[in-house]
Amino acid sequence: MKIKGSAAYWMIFPTLLIISIVAFFPLFKTFYDSFFSFSLRPGIERRFVGLENYKNLLRDVRFVNALKNTIFFTVVSVSIETVLGLIIALIVHQKFTLRGIVRAAMLVPWAIPTAISSQMWRWMFHDQFGIMTRLWERIGIITPGTPILGRPGLAMWAIIFVDVWKTTPFMALLILAGLQVIPEDIYEAAKIDGANSIQRFFKITLPLVTPTIAVALIFRTLDALRVFDVVYIMTRGAVNTETLAVYNRHVLMDRAFTGAWFGYGSAISVFIFMLIMIFAIIYIKSLKLRLD
Amino acid sequence: MKKLATLLLVLTAIAVGFSVKITMTSGGVGKELEVLREQLKMFKQLYPDIEVEVIPMPDSATERHDLYVTYFAAGEKDPDVLMLDVIWSAEFAPFLEDLTDDYDYFELKEFLPGTIMSVTVNGRIVAIPWFTDAGLLYYRKDLLEKYGYKNPPRTWDELVEMAKKISQAEGIIGFVWQGARYEGLVCNFLEYLWSFGGEVIDEKGKVVIDSSQAVQALQFMVDLIYKHRITPEGVVTYMEEDARRVFQKGEAVFMRNWPYAWALLNSDDSPVKGKVGVAPLPLGPGGRRAATLGGWNLGINKFSSKEEKEAAKKLIKFLTSYEQQLYKAIHSGQNPTRKAAYDDPKLKEAAPFMVELLSVFVNALPRPRTANYSELSDVIQKYVHAALTRQMTAEQAIKNIARELNFLLK
Repeated sequence: MKIKGSAAYWMIFPTLLIISIVAFFPLFKTFYDSFFSFSLRPGIERRFVGLENYKNLLRDVRFVNALKNTIFFTVVSVSIETVLGLIIALIVHQKFTLRGIVRAAMLVPWAIPTAISSQMWRWMFHDQFGIMTRLWERIGIITPGTPILGRPGLAMWAIIFVDVWKTTPFMALLILAGLQVIPEDIYEAAKIDGANSIQRFFKITLPLVTPTIAVALIFRTLDALRVFDVVYIMTRGAVNTETLAVYNRHVLMDRAFTGAWFGYGSAISVFIFMLIMIFAIIYIKSLKLRLD
Repeated sequence: MKKLATLLLVLTAIAVGFSVKITMTSGGVGKELEVLREQLKMFKQLYPDIEVEVIPMPDSATERHDLYVTYFAAGEKDPDVLMLDVIWSAEFAPFLEDLTDDYDYFELKEFLPGTIMSVTVNGRIVAIPWFTDAGLLYYRKDLLEKYGYKNPPRTWDELVEMAKKISQAEGIIGFVWQGARYEGLVCNFLEYLWSFGGEVIDEKGKVVIDSSQAVQALQFMVDLIYKHRITPEGVVTYMEEDARRVFQKGEAVFMRNWPYAWALLNSDDSPVKGKVGVAPLPLGPGGRRAATLGGWNLGINKFSSKEEKEAAKKLIKFLTSYEQQLYKAIHSGQNPTRKAAYDDPKLKEAAPFMVELLSVFVNALPRPRTANYSELSDVIQKYVHAALTRQMTAEQAIKNIARELNFLLK
């Protein structure tokens, strides 16, 4: 039986309505707010300022700095996560005893809420009784007494370390799903033709798993560009680790009722949104993804 | 019998019909929440027609602040009674019920003057002081005695000398405090600033932090870490609990912290139980000493209904009464805001330092009282932390604070 066109529209209408309310409305509201100067204090006049907020962004030293930190964090953490995720996925794709348990255990870091795991890591990086501090001292990365989260430069690497620990499993899981849909017979045919394992990896596995990696990359990059909890809990943006979202918390919350910063904060939010979009487009174009 | 039953039913109906339900926010640090629930049981006996629901809040003051911003911005009618940090009065004043006319009802003349200052915005009372806090110096009595010191240090220089000698001989840390980039850093910094004779803003609202005293004070903090080496570099990541855990493990001679630490340091499983003394923070070179005033107040949500506001007033009066403040002080170690409570022998027995150090609590200084305090605090945090991590000199940091505060408060 074929449902008529109009009936189909009516059926997806509730879904569209809900998405509009929870996703599109806040998005457009933020976009709209970013052209105004106002605060949440009652009685404050809402003034249209056009693109003023956006112009000010680039003159704001703290914003530019946060932007640099965010991009650095994203590029480094997502690269490491992708490579590690691919390696782990290839390993757990093999058949070995207890594979099921290993696959489940692998997901633990990702299953712990970030707010909790970040706090846990903050303690492990404590200069006096932190186990990671002792370990890094042993390996020779730091001299004894160095406060990892209190050193410019080092603190950002600690944050990246935690993010890699937390989200590599997610990357591995997505890539594993991609590996599982590659049919076995292609490998068998390659073997008969005399391709060795390295050739099989670069000629078969990698090209066929690339679309999955691209999707995983987009997911991770999206998350990394708006990173907040790891940074906020571990350093609160101190020693040059402030990211865009952490700076935006300050603008939107500490200045909510004073001055007229809410439009400016909205502009930062829109900027983060645009940044994510640019990254997504770069991925899609460079990896020649087909969205259909 | 049937008549009686009907009467009871009608009375219950009336009681339910006329009963008011109000909500209040509260922190849950240590035994705080448990104690509040006990107090509310007593309140229920006095006012059976008022039902109080408690909304527990996160431990961090910043997160509580952000939660309130969300409530107020949305014009929420709940919660009715709000637990407010002393630094928020001016910022949240537009959303709080004006309690100026209830000055006598709440017996505010019985309260410590510093706490009343913290709830006064442009001459109006916007909240009632619930409990008060001040920065204190904790020290190891046993270690000081062992090295021949009869008294805790009187001046910062004495503290440096004692800490150096004892920490080197014992192989432990000299002095821990709060140096992470957060509100607690501002509290610590202000204590040095004031005791060195500096100030952030004068009575006329002018920014006066750009002074040699301020530079010296900040330089002294930096020197504690890198020159005198009595404070570990890691202090730049410490909040209250980080410092307390180091001190409680017996790994430090001195600690700057709030009164709450006392009960924990003397709990049964504490390695330093009975070995800890509490003193006022030392004098600066100008012969001045200072403790930052902390503490929490109770305010009423302006958006609440008239009945809810009336009930809220009764609840606040009850919670800030002499008996209840004493109960809270004894059971959860939070300092009373009423002067008379400090003369009570029961308090002296439960928390002797509260009574002995009354002058510290009376003289504790409030942080700058301005509506954009959160922003001002952020500026101080940013640059003081940059100096402590040697990203800039003390002088550059103070210059930057002055420049940004001038811009902020103009």
